[in-house]
This record gives sequence, structure tokens and C-alpha cells, in this order.
Amino acid sequence: MAQPVSVLHFSGHQYLRHRLVLSIISGKPVKIDKIRSDDKNPGLRDYEVSLLRLLERATNGTVIEISVTGTAILLKPGIIAGGSVLHDCPLSRSIGYFLEPMVMLAPFAKKPLQLTLRGITSDDKDLSADLIRTVTLPHLQLFGVSEGLEMRIKKRGSAPLGGGEVQFLCPVVKQVKTLDFIDAGRVKRIRGIAHAVRVSPQFSNRMIEAARSVLNRYIPDIYLYSDVYKGEDSGKSPGYALSLLAESTTGAMHSAEAVSEPGVTPEDIALTASRALLSEVRRGGCIDRQHQVLVLFMMVLGSEDVGRCKLGEPTPRTIQFLRDVHQTFGTSFKIVPSNPSDTTSTELLFSCYGTGYVNANRTLA
Amino acid sequence: AQSAYQEHSRRRRKDWMKLIYVSSLTPEQILHGDPSSTDLQNQDEDDFFTIRSKGTVAGGTEEDLDVTKEKVKLEDLKEWENEELLDSIRHLFITGGSGT
Repeated sequence: MAQPVSVLHFSGHQYLRHRLVLSIISGKPVKIDKIRSDDKNPGLRDYEVSLLRLLERATNGTVIEISVTGTAILLKPGIIAGGSVLHDCPLSRSIGYFLEPMVMLAPFAKKPLQLTLRGITSDDKDLSADLIRTVTLPHLQLFGVSEGLEMRIKKRGSAPLGGGEVQFLCPVVKQVKTLDFIDAGRVKRIRGIAHAVRVSPQFSNRMIEAARSVLNRYIPDIYLYSDVYKGEDSGKSPGYALSLLAESTTGAMHSAEAVSEPGVTPEDIALTASRALLSEVRRGGCIDRQHQVLVLFMMVLGSEDVGRCKLGEPTPRTIQFLRDVHQTFGTSFKIVPSNPSDTTSTELLFSCYGTGYVNANRTLA
Repeated sequence: AQSAYQEHSRRRRKDWMKLIYVSSLTPEQILHGDPSSTDLQNQDEDDFFTIRSKGTVAGGTEEDLDVTKEKVKLEDLKEWENEELLDSIRHLFITGGSGT
């Protein structure tokens, strides 16, 4: 594609994923330098290289140049091809690390994406496969990406050895819908998935019991599912986790999860997850904190109309993302307190004029 | 009078658009720093140095990963042992009586 030569320039190893996504979506080459240049162990990490490989495989015509020291990369994006992609994730990061950018790109591919990822399905750094399935995908549906959107957790794999496998199916869209989501509603139900692999299946029941002790006071509609994977499907390492999701009357979702650590009882894991969920609910807004970036990204790409969304306080990632979006598309959000009369409220109203991004890849097919 | 009003409102509440698009504070500084107006102006003048020390050098000494989930601080969650706090968010649930 002929593009005016305007190279996006970023520094540092942080926020690599959304910067690569912005580059690929906008078609602008991106140069990222000073990647851990002051570190004892400079340059890209194995998982970052692996992510670049995955992006290369899911696109067509992408050129990636990595400097000799690995402290600078130049990515010239091609088109997002989609189709069937298989990727083995390194064990240093969970599959969530790789899925999150793919979720942002997949709706704009040429062909529907069928992505199979192997590795660790839940860890404490990135969204687990459960949360991506139960929370991230419904967030995509807000923008009209729904028909055929699916994720299957075929095998679970805990750290450190992994052995899990998930399959992500995503349809393509021509254009995403403009979002207008300003009523957060009230929490009407809580759902959760407790899973335990290669440990006593009783662990997930213990987690459910403990989570209920905190959450039952608020609402009777709590359904916590105990997900049991046996034999081959349970991966190579023992582990357990609880992911929780609070859904409001207007469909706003908030999520939290906690993953097993050595020497921590299932009860404590469940308490951590439940309390984190309460903190999340208290922060307010229509969108879960961990999904602010995804939602704002889709708002920028929306049709040429004003999209509005109420959010809680932005995370550091969100702030950086807003700046990077401004650099890439020139779009800036209008951010005002959603309720100016109430000084205690931290809820903010984000609005922006969509760029009217049209999936040109699809029409080429 | 208008500037006084603006200053007043800024002290009360962060001006997110200015902090994000105009200032060059790091995201962490925006969230945790003191956003009072005088502080902001000081930062604006010497942010050339602040950014560098905060952003790159600190990142080099301690590995801060590109993570989606924020580290949950167990101390922060301790507050939920308090019954009053647990009750204080009842209005956010449908069963929580008349909040509106």
C-alpha cells in the first residue's frame, strides 16, 4: 500500500504491543528504539521477538528489522491477512500477552482469523484465557464484532511448563460501530470460573466457597463454575486460579482474577480475587480497567461520528495509549468529569470523533 | 476571575486533557503525583530531565514488564476486611436499595 512516509517513532520497551498494533492498523511504519538500552541485559526479550514473529505470520508483507544489539526495531506493516495461524508461545509469558494485540487486529483482517496458541493459559501478568473469553470478547461485541466470535480453551497450562492450548476465532468487519455507553447501571450478577489443574479438584470448590463468603452479601445471583480439566488437557504444571466477572444491568462488566502462588491457600486466592473485584466495581465506569485500551482503540476506529464512553480513572497504560493514538491518528479524546457536581466521583466521560476506519483488507479479497 | 476559577477547579480535580496531551509527565506521575497547578507548571519547565530519569533509567535498573494486569497489592485489599467499607458500595448493586 502506498503510504506517505511518516514513520512513527517511540522509545523504550514499555507499551510495545499497542504501539505495534497502532502501526499495523494505520499502515505507518514504526521505529522503536532504546529498548532496554541501559539494562544489564539489553534488547528484546524472547517473548517480544515471539510476538513480532506472530504478527509477521498473521500479516502479509510485514517487514521487521531488528538491530544487531536488539535495542531498536523497525516494522513496516503489511496487510492483516488473518486465516489459520498456529503459534507456540514462549513460557516466559502467558498466551494473554499474545492474544491481546491479536484481538485488537483480528476484526480488520482480510480473512477471518483462526488462531491457535499454545503455552501458559493463565498467569499473574496478563489476562488469562478465561477473562479473554468471558470479558474481552463481549467488549468486542459492543462494536459489532460478534458473529462467529469464539474462543475455546482446549487445554489448560499453568506456569512454569505450560502445555495449554486455546483457539481464537474472529470474524472480519468492514467498519466498527460507534460506541455510546454512558450508563454504567448496577451490578446484577456475578459470574466466575474456578479451575484447578494437576491438583486436587477440591481446590476449585474451596475457592468458590471463599469467594462466596465475600460476595454473597451483595447479590444472590452468583454462579461460580468449577472447571475441571483432566489428564492430557490439564497441561504440564499444577496450578489453580479464580476469575470473576461482575455484570451490570446495562451490560457494563468488571473483572478480576487471582492465580495460584506457591504457599498460598485456595481460600486466600479467592479472597484476593473477590476483593480485587470489589475494588474494580467501586472504581466505576462502564468499562473494566484492563479493557480501557481495547475500547478506546475501537472508539478511535469507529465511524465518523462522536463516540462516548464513561470510564473510571485511566490506568498508566491508558494514558500512554491516548498519547500514542494522538501521535498515530491525530485523534484526541475529550475527557471531562462525568458528573461535575459530584467532586468525589472519579468517573470520566471520554468522547472522540471516530476516524471512520474502513477495513480495506477485506474489500481487496 | 476566570483564571481564578480555573485554578480552583484544577485543584479540586485533575485536568485530564491537559495532563495527557499537553504535559510531558509520565503516566505514573499523572496518576500519583500531586496535580496542583503550581506543581504542574514547575514540571512543565524541567520535564526534559524528569522524563529521562523516570522513564529510561529507572526502567533499566528494575525490570518493569509490559503487563496488562496491575499487580494487586495485598495491603490495599486489606481494607475490604472493614464492614463499613463493604457496605459502602452496596448502592452499586441492584439489591442495594434506593441509591438513586
